[in-house]
Amino acid sequence: MKNLITIGLSSKGRLKEGSISFFKKNNLKLTSSGGERNYFAQIENFPNIKIIYLHAKEIIQRLGDGTLDIGVSGLDLLSESRINLQKKIEIKKKLDFGMANLVVAIPDDWIDVQTVADLEEVSFEFRDKKNTRLRVATKYPNLTNSFLVSKGVTQYKLVSSLGATETYPFIGSSEIITDITSSGKTLKDNNLRILKDGLILRSQACLLFSKKKAAKLQPFLNSLN
Amino acid sequence: MKSKNYSENIIKVFKKDGFVLSESDVLLDSDYIIQRSGENFRKLMLTFEDDTGKSMCLRPDLTVASCIKYLKDNSKANSKIFYSGQAYRRSNNPKDKIINDQLGIEILGSKNKSIDDLKVFKTIANSIEKIKIKNTTIKVGDVSLFQKLIESLKIPERWKVRLKRHFWRPQYFEDLLNRLETNSDVDPAAINLDKKKFSEMKNLDQSKEIANRKVSEILSRFDRKIKDPRSFTENKKIVKIIREFLKINCPISKLEKILKSFVKKNNLSNIVFKDLSTIKNLSKINSKTVFSTNFGRDIEYYTGIVFEIYNSSKKEIARGGRYDGLLKSLGSKKNISAVGAAINLNNLKT
Repeated sequence: MKNLITIGLSSKGRLKEGSISFFKKNNLKLTSSGGERNYFAQIENFPNIKIIYLHAKEIIQRLGDGTLDIGVSGLDLLSESRINLQKKIEIKKKLDFGMANLVVAIPDDWIDVQTVADLEEVSFEFRDKKNTRLRVATKYPNLTNSFLVSKGVTQYKLVSSLGATETYPFIGSSEIITDITSSGKTLKDNNLRILKDGLILRSQACLLFSKKKAAKLQPFLNSLN
Repeated sequence: MKSKNYSENIIKVFKKDGFVLSESDVLLDSDYIIQRSGENFRKLMLTFEDDTGKSMCLRPDLTVASCIKYLKDNSKANSKIFYSGQAYRRSNNPKDKIINDQLGIEILGSKNKSIDDLKVFKTIANSIEKIKIKNTTIKVGDVSLFQKLIESLKIPERWKVRLKRHFWRPQYFEDLLNRLETNSDVDPAAINLDKKKFSEMKNLDQSKEIANRKVSEILSRFDRKIKDPRSFTENKKIVKIIREFLKINCPISKLEKILKSFVKKNNLSNIVFKDLSTIKNLSKINSKTVFSTNFGRDIEYYTGIVFEIYNSSKKEIARGGRYDGLLKSLGSKKNISAVGAAINLNNLKT
């Protein structure tokens, strides 16, 4: 079909629920022909729209390579992606769900460290006294790098993490972490504390589209509230 | 003159002045470079992983590559070398080249500071003369003067270290001055809260480690921080002195006089800027050279004199300086002084 529009939605969690209710609010009802676990869906009365459920990170990738026309994903994931990928994607609208902050968190017992400036000092102590670099575990290497360097913290090493980053400082895999948090509860429960000026990014769900397809998509995008 | 002829003629001058060709490795251990330049430098490097999982990179800079070779060869003597080859860097700007031709000299293990500084400067000046570039202008700075000033000020040690450390990041440095001026890095409310925890933690086993830091280490730094003896008015005065110093911009021949009156005006010790031997030498060569205290702040490894030479259309054609800490940061056990400079071949082509 020539005017086919492909939309990517997150396949799980808050982002999935939020996206479905966002469409519902716009009187677009998502229907699935297969079972509950089917990754494809349609919108009732819109035969030219195809919905695909996939990983939120992958939505960004696929918008970049043109497989998807429209997607709902987190601002954090978009900002973390490579610059040339970001250039291909535009934010149509910030949506009112999926709110979360990317923050720098340290062990709560490091009572001498309150700000990034303290962290900078400690990182130099690590280099000078222990001859190693402070390790920062993260799923967001790019955002973490630019944040730390802009605040004068240069003596550190990134450790890439795939999940449960909160455990890293206590199992000897890193000293501190950066992670995404909405209520801060997981951090607190794991004896971590957010630095006073440690907010890297305020994130939320965003309606995104592929810039290359802008002309074709505008009528549909403009119909969404 | 074509680029190749430029290089040939410049190399002739290097050799005549006693510099010997050093051929450094093209492939380097990435960790070496990251150790010096920090994690953020990684995105500029062209890296790959070898079979053992070790990260290697193409040499991003010939000064660093030459220093690594010097350490590897275990050279003991004063080593006067020149290099000519390609350096490889990635850039976000598609207009920038990935492969850059670099041509320069270094005196590694420099024993006599003012003689070697002058030697490097003269050889570069001779090279530029040899390829018949006229109407050049020279700008000079000296990072060590800033460091001496900071040492002489009455501020806590941690602030001295901090200001010296971030001289290279002008924007963040400005943040630091603002914070020093307003005393805003210690929050009284938070400190009261943490004092309670402080006494609790005193009862813990002091050698217990929390994320790689001993309890004793955490507590002693906390204690040092809250006892930070600074008065508000004193800080304002100090920040004013630093700002005033960084505005000094004058013909090199007038620098000594200007520094003297700066010292007098601000009641600093007479011996703060005692050693100006290199400056005096450079002043004799070309009295029109401009000196600026704010100059040389973009490359972290400089520790002393820094200079740049520009052609008539104000493009930088050579730059160099003293970098006494670089070899140590690359793994040398003792301090090895060094001074060097490079010709910017790209800007010679007109």
